[in-house]
Amino acid sequence: MGGAKVAIQTMVALKQVSVVYGEQHALRRVNLQVELGEFVFLVGATGAGKSTLFKLLYGALRPTEGEVWVLGQPLHQLKPRELPFLRRRMGIVPQHYPLLSHKTVWENIAYGLRAIGYNERAVRERVAKVLALVGLNLQARQMPHQLSGGEAQRAAIARAIANNPPLLIADEPTANLDPDTSWEIIDLLMHINRRGATVIVSTHNRTIVDRACQRVVAIDRGKIISDVPRGGYPIELDRLHATVLL
Amino acid sequence: MIDRVHFVLQETWAILRSSRAMQAAAISTAAIALILLGAASMALSKLDAIARALPNEFEASVFMQMSTPREQTLQFKAALETMPAIAQVTLTTREEAWEAEKQKLASEVNLADLPNPLPDKLTVRVHDPAQLPAVAEQIAQSPLVDEVIDSRKELQTVLSVARLVRWIALAIGGLLLVSALMLIYNSVRLTINARQNEVQVMALVGATLRSIRLPFVLEGMTQGALGGVVAALLVLLGASALSDYMVRQWAFLRDTPSGMSPILLITSLPSLGALMGGLCAWWATRRYVRI
Repeated sequence: MGGAKVAIQTMVALKQVSVVYGEQHALRRVNLQVELGEFVFLVGATGAGKSTLFKLLYGALRPTEGEVWVLGQPLHQLKPRELPFLRRRMGIVPQHYPLLSHKTVWENIAYGLRAIGYNERAVRERVAKVLALVGLNLQARQMPHQLSGGEAQRAAIARAIANNPPLLIADEPTANLDPDTSWEIIDLLMHINRRGATVIVSTHNRTIVDRACQRVVAIDRGKIISDVPRGGYPIELDRLHATVLL
Repeated sequence: MIDRVHFVLQETWAILRSSRAMQAAAISTAAIALILLGAASMALSKLDAIARALPNEFEASVFMQMSTPREQTLQFKAALETMPAIAQVTLTTREEAWEAEKQKLASEVNLADLPNPLPDKLTVRVHDPAQLPAVAEQIAQSPLVDEVIDSRKELQTVLSVARLVRWIALAIGGLLLVSALMLIYNSVRLTINARQNEVQVMALVGATLRSIRLPFVLEGMTQGALGGVVAALLVLLGASALSDYMVRQWAFLRDTPSGMSPILLITSLPSLGALMGGLCAWWATRRYVRI
């Protein structure tokens, strides 16, 4: 097993985690701990390793070395047949939200619940609640192509939290959104956090990170270079970018 | 549980409604392969039934001259029974044979007023099949005997035809079966690709691998089963038409025993198709559906 079992108070724990693709290190000896109820921004430039780290968190990727604990479960050792049951306790918003184009917003959210065995009555209840939470009541019968970018992202978030998971991870949820809409999405995620869920969001949007004033973990070339409990976009990343530009 | 079954069936139906051209191609190829397999099975079963109905290798049929009196026939029978090579001799009198023939053809023709054209028949069984040709030849030399039929030649012909049919059917059927399986595999693979978003959503919300894969396996089973139903119906129609034609051409075929039962064919081909389609689809999902 290696290492003591992580208490459930700790939602996510990465211990000396490395991921290597061929000769290239996507992550190098990363240590990270996220506690119950935290809101964490994971920031870094494109290719820094944010998406790799997210894939580790929902078990789409296994670490080359180190330990990944999520909700008290050792993901690095979890059997494939056990993974779905862990994912039911997590909300996952992938970078490219695959709303199903032939289903309405309501059906998109219901689809996820039905796939994990909810009965129709529970589906109706959960979908209504979650639509109200993300503010998409009026768009419930609309098709994805009729939604704005922000509404589509809200629908993807609604689907992720429909099962009322204690942990929500969102990979670049503000990508391709204008500043106002980006802030609306972050505001929604912070609202979900205040209701009790632990939220981890990856982004490289400096404005929203500065404005939200939450814990910020900066990653660069596969290494965590700063971890600030409450702050803005890390100055270390700015310095690195400036060096690269020079 | 019911909700889960309902979801899986809904997904299967959604899959079957999409990419109809590919579904049709997979079903028709499966049907063609199974038609060949079904037709070969029916032919082999018929040949096997004919072979079993023929006298076995230990027997020869001895037809007496029409002019041979019954008393001489009985003396001849007794003489044959003393021969060391012969194990048993059975007499079928011309009256018994005619009565049986009248009953067999009763539904088609009235033979009651016709004179009996049949001779007495002795069925001679030997201890060792190798002795049969010599015994048959010796019996045929008697002036009381009209004809001796040693059934080994017919049996050999039927068996060699059966062997030929079996090999041809196995070769062509095997090739077609492989192509049908590959087409079902490919069809399921394309469906998985077309439904990548659904697969990803199900995986992310925590659906089990089994419930994600099951609709695709059911797709393959449905394609195979539908191919089997089409094949069974076409084989039965074809066999019926061919049988009618052959009986019109060669009247003696009317008396041959029937082969495989239509019910067995109608149940076995779709079941075989479903099994193969399901296995193919399962193989495709093992390879292309991951969480």
